[in-house]
Amino acid sequence: MDAYVNAFRTTVPTWFDGGIPSSSFGLEAAKEFAMPAFDIPGCHNPMEFLRSITDETSKDYRIKIQHGTTTLAFKFKGGVMVAVDSRATAGGYIASQTVKKIIEINPYLLGTMAGGAADCSYWERELGRRCRLYQLKNKELISVAAASKLLANMVYPYKRMGISMGTMVTGWDKTGPNLFYVDADGTRIKGEIFSVGSGSTFAYGVLDSTHDYELEENDAIDLARRSIYHATYRDAGSGGSVSVYHVKENGWQFISTHDVYDLHYEYQDQPKPRLI
Amino acid sequence: MSFYPYTDNGGSALAIAGEDYCLLASDTRQSGEDYKIHAGYVPKAFKLTDSCVYAGVGFSADGVALVKRVRQSIEWYRHAHEKTMSTPALAQMIATVLYSKRFFPYYVGTILGGLDENGRGVVYSFDPVGSFEAELHKAVGSGAELIQPFLDNQVNLKFLPEVERTPLPLDVALQIAKDAFTSAAERDTKTGDYLEIFIIDREGVNVERFDLKRD
Amino acid sequence: MDHFPNYWGMPPQESFDRYNIFQDKTKNNAISDPTTNTKQPIVTGTSVIAFKYKDASFGSLARYREVERLYPVGEYTVLASSGDFSDFQYVKHTLDKIMTKEYYTNDGHILGTPHIYEYLSQVMYHRRSKLNPLWNAFVVGGYHNGEGYLGYVNLLGTTFQASTITTGIGMYMASPLLRKAVEGHEDTLTEAEAVDLVEQVMRVLYYRDSQSINRYQRAKITAQGVEISPLLSAPTDWSIGKDLRGYQ
Repeated sequence: MDAYVNAFRTTVPTWFDGGIPSSSFGLEAAKEFAMPAFDIPGCHNPMEFLRSITDETSKDYRIKIQHGTTTLAFKFKGGVMVAVDSRATAGGYIASQTVKKIIEINPYLLGTMAGGAADCSYWERELGRRCRLYQLKNKELISVAAASKLLANMVYPYKRMGISMGTMVTGWDKTGPNLFYVDADGTRIKGEIFSVGSGSTFAYGVLDSTHDYELEENDAIDLARRSIYHATYRDAGSGGSVSVYHVKENGWQFISTHDVYDLHYEYQDQPKPRLI
Repeated sequence: MSFYPYTDNGGSALAIAGEDYCLLASDTRQSGEDYKIHAGYVPKAFKLTDSCVYAGVGFSADGVALVKRVRQSIEWYRHAHEKTMSTPALAQMIATVLYSKRFFPYYVGTILGGLDENGRGVVYSFDPVGSFEAELHKAVGSGAELIQPFLDNQVNLKFLPEVERTPLPLDVALQIAKDAFTSAAERDTKTGDYLEIFIIDREGVNVERFDLKRD
Repeated sequence: MDHFPNYWGMPPQESFDRYNIFQDKTKNNAISDPTTNTKQPIVTGTSVIAFKYKDASFGSLARYREVERLYPVGEYTVLASSGDFSDFQYVKHTLDKIMTKEYYTNDGHILGTPHIYEYLSQVMYHRRSKLNPLWNAFVVGGYHNGEGYLGYVNLLGTTFQASTITTGIGMYMASPLLRKAVEGHEDTLTEAEAVDLVEQVMRVLYYRDSQSINRYQRAKITAQGVEISPLLSAPTDWSIGKDLRGYQ
């Protein structure tokens, strides 16, 4: 609340805004380098306190935060294919089967959500804001490398404080299609194939066995969908439906959403695809 | 013994979105630890604007604190922008408020029921730290695990044999809500006493109160 | 790359760590404190009961060691406390300060019961959020705008208003008696019946609460103001004792 009220004050704000006196340009609402302000409990070890109430393995576990869990993305000759499941679990309860785990940062950039649902959506929304500011300042779209770097740097000050975020930032910029994995531990790596989440190991199995850079678009879509389906089949934390997006030169495109229940029976009736 | 700043005051709430209405129902019992009942009528659902109702179930003090903050933000918004906050904007704002306490969370399961800008019913549900989603129906609270499957079946008509999907009329949704609560009050010790149902439609917000089992 | 979302971003597990680097295993409770802030109640009072009757509110205490736990605030409000006594004294001082301010501004308005209650509940919630609570359960009772008002607030900031309120062990034993007698009859319960009810409930609490003594005080708040009774005792009957084996 204080942070919100401060926005209406005419006295010097507590945020550092790069030296420009914001009141003179009316830029309060767009403080570019403003860091969000968080309430921290006044106990001896706040992070241990937070962990004790949110970690499922602790005895004081009360607050069930929603976690989201299998996402994948891979590069191929037609761009980048991104696929996600749609289940969110809170403790052992399935909080939702219709979560949108692909976050459309802008028409050229996609981010995925795995880990804490609130953490991913909050920080990726903040990333969207920074990308837009970059675009306005520099008159060109931000590169995927820069966007993923912004995200990694934003969460780094909160390292080890309990933010759980494993996201892939992908898009097509002037160097071609790009895919980066960023997580709350500070990892940021560029790659060709990633799968993130509790069901990722299952998805990797299917993905790695049939992946080929020369795949046609329809085959790539099918591979992405199938990999997520297999992850939802074996991982309790994944399920719901599979959504697929395709990142192309002129932006991303939503392909489809299929309920895994229907996919199960559809694949059952088909002959198994050849591995070798 | 050291101080543990949270407790669970129990209770349940549900919301169902229809084509041109939204319905939000919550019980009003406040429980304490170890099977105590503090009081039978402590409202958990509050009207925020003429097209939006909020319910916060879990730790009652945090629920009340959250609604205070949200109401203050609505006031500021009205003064700054000369209009009432729309329901989707409210949802995003509540998510940000919840996330601002990411490291000392509000122990509340929140739902927002209202009409969007086109007059269609919409339900937003939140986790304690601000992840939110627009849905057609949601139950939160101690009875959520009892009520949600019932809603999935009756409102979404999930797994019923090919049934014709017509938009749910208000009186059917009302009956579903009442049935859900009478059953939840039967099986959940922390749900009961009274049921308040808020109906949000084009004309505004109406409240009705019904009795639930008081045991 | 760790594939399991549960471990991302978390501080290192204190109980084990993969490469056995961290040897400190003495950490136990997450919110225990070397420079104690979080505390436990030292001198405590036991149950409080309160209820509304026709035209007024009634509160009463099972006391502990001749100590007064009913406190009038302004002309139409009484604060009753159970829990830590030193925190109750702090709250008394705080309320006195704000009431003094109210009196000297002399603008024709004094804080009424709901206002005092709101102020107190905000103070309690704020202290809980600083993890330094006032370890009490308060009942604020009074007379405002022509009817009785009764509110409860505790160390966590949990609040509720009802026509019968109890704290402590009274919540288990006195609540059913009060609810049966009062709920639904708030407008018809007379003062005599209310006094009787208080005595009956105090007797039950004395019989069954091991931490109580047979001394209580009663506060009555009506349109005429606050009246706090002197120390009273509930008449008790121990004659069944002679039939119990082992009873001296």
